Amino acid sequence: MKHLKLITLLIAFSFIIISCDSTRTALFDPYSYQKTTEIKIETTRIMDKATTPYQNQKQEVETLLFEIEKLVEYEKNKPNNEITFAMWQVLNDKEKNLLAGFFKRWKTQEILSPYFVDESKKQILNAFDLLIQYEINKDKESKEQLLELINLNS
Amino acid sequence: MINNNFTQELKDKVKKLITDNYNDFKPELEKDLKTFLETSAEKLERWATLYANQEINDEELEWLLKSQLDFVSLQALQAAGISKIKLNKLKNNVIKLIFEIIISLITKRS
Repeated sequence: MKHLKLITLLIAFSFIIISCDSTRTALFDPYSYQKTTEIKIETTRIMDKATTPYQNQKQEVETLLFEIEKLVEYEKNKPNNEITFAMWQVLNDKEKNLLAGFFKRWKTQEILSPYFVDESKKQILNAFDLLIQYEINKDKESKEQLLELINLNS
Repeated sequence: MINNNFTQELKDKVKKLITDNYNDFKPELEKDLKTFLETSAEKLERWATLYANQEINDEELEWLLKSQLDFVSLQALQAAGISKIKLNKLKNNVIKLIFEIIISLITKRS
C-alpha cells in the first residue's frame, strides 16, 4: 500500500515537471510584478508633468528609462519569458508610440498639450495593465495546471 | 461634432476604400481592420471629437492612432502568445487610411 502511494506521488511529480517544461511559460515572478507596478506609478507621476518643459524633468525621465532598461534586461534573460519580453520591447521602443515614444516626443516638442498628455497617458497605462495582468495570469495558469494534475492523480 | 454613427461610417468608408484600391489584399486587410476598429471604436470617436474641437492637432491625432496600433499588438501578444501572431501585421498604410478617413469625415461635418 505504501509503495502504491509512493509510486502515485512519483508519477504525479513527474507529470508536474513535464508539464512545467512543456508549457514553456515562465512562472509568476513577484519581482517582475512589483517592479512593473512601481514603474507604472512612476510613469503616471512623470507624465503628469509633460505639460511643462522637458528640460525641467529630464533627470527624472532618464532615471525612469534606466529603471525600465534594467527590468527589460532582467525579463530578457528569464527562461521561457518571450511574451513578457516582447511586450516590454513594444512599450520601450522609441520608434513606437507608447512609453519610450511618448518621452521621445516630449523631448522633441519640449512641451505637450494637456489633451494629448491625457489621452496618451490612458494608452500607456492600459499597456502597463496588460503587462501586469499577463504576469498575474502566469500564476493562475500554473495553479490551474497543478490542480488539474493533482486531481488527475488523486 | 461627431455623432453616434461615426464608427459605422468609418467602417463603411474603409471597406469601400479597400474594395476600390486594395482588392489583391482584401481578405487580410479587412480582417486586420475589423479587429482594429472593434477594439478601438470608443477611442477613435473620442479622438475624432478632440480633433474636431481643435484640442489635438494632426500630428497628435496620428500619434494616438499609432499608439492604438501598438496597443492592439500588445493585446494580441497577451492573448495569443508570440508564436501565434505576427507583430506589426497591420501596415502603416492602414493607419494612414484611417487617419485620412477620420479627417475627411470631420472636415465634411464642420
